[in-house]
Amino acid sequence: MEYEEQKQLIVDTLKKKEKTKSKWYFSDLAKILDLKPREAKKIVTKMVEEEVLVFWSSGSTSMYGLKGAGKQSAAEHEEG
Amino acid sequence: MAKNKTPLLDQLESGPWPSFVSDMKQQAEARAKNENNVEYQIPVDVVDDLLGVLELSYVDGETHWKHGGIVGVFGYGGGVIGRYCDQPEMFPGVAHFHTMRVAQPGGKFYKTDYLRQLCDLWDFRGSGLTNMHGSTGDIILLGTTTPQLEEIFFELTHKMDQDLGGSGSNLRTPADCIGQARCEWACYDTQDLCYQLTIDYQDELHRPAFPYKFKFKFDGCPNCCVASIARADMAFVGTWKDDIRIDQDAVKAYVEGDVKPNGNAHAGRDWGPFDIAKEVLDLCPTECMRYENGKLEINNRECVRCMHCINVMPRALRPGVHGGLSILVGAKAPILDGAQMGSLLIPFVEVNKESGYEEIKNVIEPIWDWWMEEGKNRERLGELMKRKGFQALLEAVGVDAMPQHVSEPRHNPYIFWKEEEVPGGFEMDINAFRKRHLR
Amino acid sequence: MAFISSGYDPKSPMENRVTDIGPRKYDEFYPPVIAKNKGKWLYHEILEPGVLVHVSETGDEVYTVRVGGARLMSVMLIREICDIADKHCDGYVRWTTRNNIEFMVDSKDKVKPLIEDLESRKFDAGSYKFPVGGTGAGITNIVHTQGWIHCHTPATDASGPVKAAMDVLFDDFKDMRMPAQLRVSLACCLNMCGAVHCSDIAMLGYHRKPPMVDHEYLDKMCEIPLAIAACPTAAIKPKKVEIDGKTLNSVDVNNSRCMYCGNCYTMCPCLPLMDKEGDGVVLMVGGKVSNSRSAPKFSKVAVAFLPNTAPRWPETTDAIKKIVEVYAADARKYERLGEWAERIGWERFFEKCELEFTHHLIDDFRDPAYYTWRQTTNFKF
Repeated sequence: MEYEEQKQLIVDTLKKKEKTKSKWYFSDLAKILDLKPREAKKIVTKMVEEEVLVFWSSGSTSMYGLKGAGKQSAAEHEEG
Repeated sequence: MAKNKTPLLDQLESGPWPSFVSDMKQQAEARAKNENNVEYQIPVDVVDDLLGVLELSYVDGETHWKHGGIVGVFGYGGGVIGRYCDQPEMFPGVAHFHTMRVAQPGGKFYKTDYLRQLCDLWDFRGSGLTNMHGSTGDIILLGTTTPQLEEIFFELTHKMDQDLGGSGSNLRTPADCIGQARCEWACYDTQDLCYQLTIDYQDELHRPAFPYKFKFKFDGCPNCCVASIARADMAFVGTWKDDIRIDQDAVKAYVEGDVKPNGNAHAGRDWGPFDIAKEVLDLCPTECMRYENGKLEINNRECVRCMHCINVMPRALRPGVHGGLSILVGAKAPILDGAQMGSLLIPFVEVNKESGYEEIKNVIEPIWDWWMEEGKNRERLGELMKRKGFQALLEAVGVDAMPQHVSEPRHNPYIFWKEEEVPGGFEMDINAFRKRHLR
Repeated sequence: MAFISSGYDPKSPMENRVTDIGPRKYDEFYPPVIAKNKGKWLYHEILEPGVLVHVSETGDEVYTVRVGGARLMSVMLIREICDIADKHCDGYVRWTTRNNIEFMVDSKDKVKPLIEDLESRKFDAGSYKFPVGGTGAGITNIVHTQGWIHCHTPATDASGPVKAAMDVLFDDFKDMRMPAQLRVSLACCLNMCGAVHCSDIAMLGYHRKPPMVDHEYLDKMCEIPLAIAACPTAAIKPKKVEIDGKTLNSVDVNNSRCMYCGNCYTMCPCLPLMDKEGDGVVLMVGGKVSNSRSAPKFSKVAVAFLPNTAPRWPETTDAIKKIVEVYAADARKYERLGEWAERIGWERFFEKCELEFTHHLIDDFRDPAYYTWRQTTNFKF
């Protein structure tokens, strides 16, 4: 699969669930891509650099989400 | 004149121990005066309001901070912890109060020009309050606003050649003991190994793809001054393979009372004359030492290198010259099944700077691969080891089992045999069986 | 307060971006005597509390003066540290893993003026800025976490109880009369950002009440599946609630399963759990990380709960002082607190320290619990 397809796959999957879930663990994304973690990381990193995905951190754990999605985004008064 | 009254905190200004309240107050006052005409990029009264919100917590017995997960610097999943005050109208100076973790240098050695540069930056773009250092080891810059995060990162990287540390599901900023820089016991160069792995694994440190946090800590000897064995998912603990070096004249000097034991660490009390039998030989966990006719003998084959005798007689005894390290894995402090200590995986590995520490990376990377594939979300390595068993770890790393791996063999015979380990496999012929045994 | 750009352009964050450079290299900051003698040190000695000499095979010596400090530190104080380091130490200084500051000089005659300078500096209200000590068989600085100064789930403060405890233990920071080194630590909640699980004495902030549920706002502010997934004991379930005739999505907390970790609150601000009466301090004792003589040990709970009595936590500091004094009087030379307690037996530990043993102190948390029950007829009356 080409990068653009992989990106679309993640965007589509995350959008579908956006109403109930806006933050995803890295392993969830790897599963969507059906890739080994190290391969999946390359795609995910690129999507972050393209500002499609953003990080969310609990301090101890990190998650990923579509930029601007989610209820906490508004609650924190920060733009995506 | 202080902005907020802090009668409870004021009580922490008395007593001999350095008062963080006094320090915060002097910082608040200096900010208000601003004698150097700093163009403060976050509210001038940030420290006043921090004192105010802390006083409120002392009254309420409850914290007044909210977590924020979105803020960070672009492209990094760690290094910034978002914080917001839950009384922003009372304390607007700390309405946004994010932390930045700055990767500390090995051994926490500094030159003052570097520190001054950092202080100037943090005065200008942050609260001027720090932690020297956070628990993991980073320099903590405590409290700034969201728009300043990128500016600070830009100045750190462009002007100070300095990067952020880790947080979240990353490799956390590795930490080391003072090591060979100023300690006679360090069996390898903790600072170089720590630095090299930190540099080589920058991607793991900044871009989270692990199930949870992962810590490296480097101790030069089994005294474990950075507590690697208790705190690090992978602990690198210095040890040696050959004999403890003995200076018999110095041993005699201890016995005769010419040199104080334990580097004079017990000088605050009269413990009586040094007694080598009581203080060294009898406390040796393997009883592998003898002192006869003014000569100390160590049966090094039986020694477990606990460091006690070396600690007590540092002038007479030194670790061997064939240094290396033991790797223990899976330590962590909190929650799921409670605290876990590191478990010994690799008893001895050479620390080979010339190879780029390849022998050590050959242990690290298979463990990461195994954990990234098998680990559940928010599962520390030690918890995965418990869930899957130590054998699964050995298989992942390609290490054979040895008695050094256990404190004792298993208490039960309920061994899960693999099919290939049993002659003929698991498939048995029921019809052949019935020829020998009637139904 | 005009915004001053560093040169960063938010419109193109990747342009001219420097990343992945890590920390500054350790040897940029070595004092010359350290750079020259690295790996050549022969032995060390503590000349007096807080003052060490390390002797190299080259004949060089480095004298270290160790001072205590609060880990919460202003740039003003760091600049003062720089002034001292510039004046006495050619502009070099270091910190220890236990928040102490070390000033190093390369000859003995430089030690006394350095100590005098350090000890003469006090805050306006009277406390020392740089008390010399923290070596050998004494009590060194306390490692700790953020507490109420910056954390969102603490069950106690950190800097305050540490200041209060160090005031009480101050004489032993400046002395070496203990049977062995005694390490104290504090973590402000059970997530233990600062590891307290292997300390001779540990203060651990602990919540005792499950989270409140802000039903009205929960579904507006939080994602319910994330809150549920955050719970390590699976105590949270989805639930519908009626408020003002409206059916709202929310969650239900199974109070008897809750271990008060606050992880759900991190994911969902509508599940706060802090409470003045509920929160306080657990006192743990007997841990160690060194492999010396005996294996590293976990800390054990000695007092299940002490209240958060701000600003000086007298119940906690009294209990610590009591344990320290009994240990100092009763333990053998070199014996760490946990080794002493194991030798005399924990029943004796509680008796000698005059601490009440309650049912809270018997482990009932998962597998490891069983291995802590007494499975022998050997015990003391």
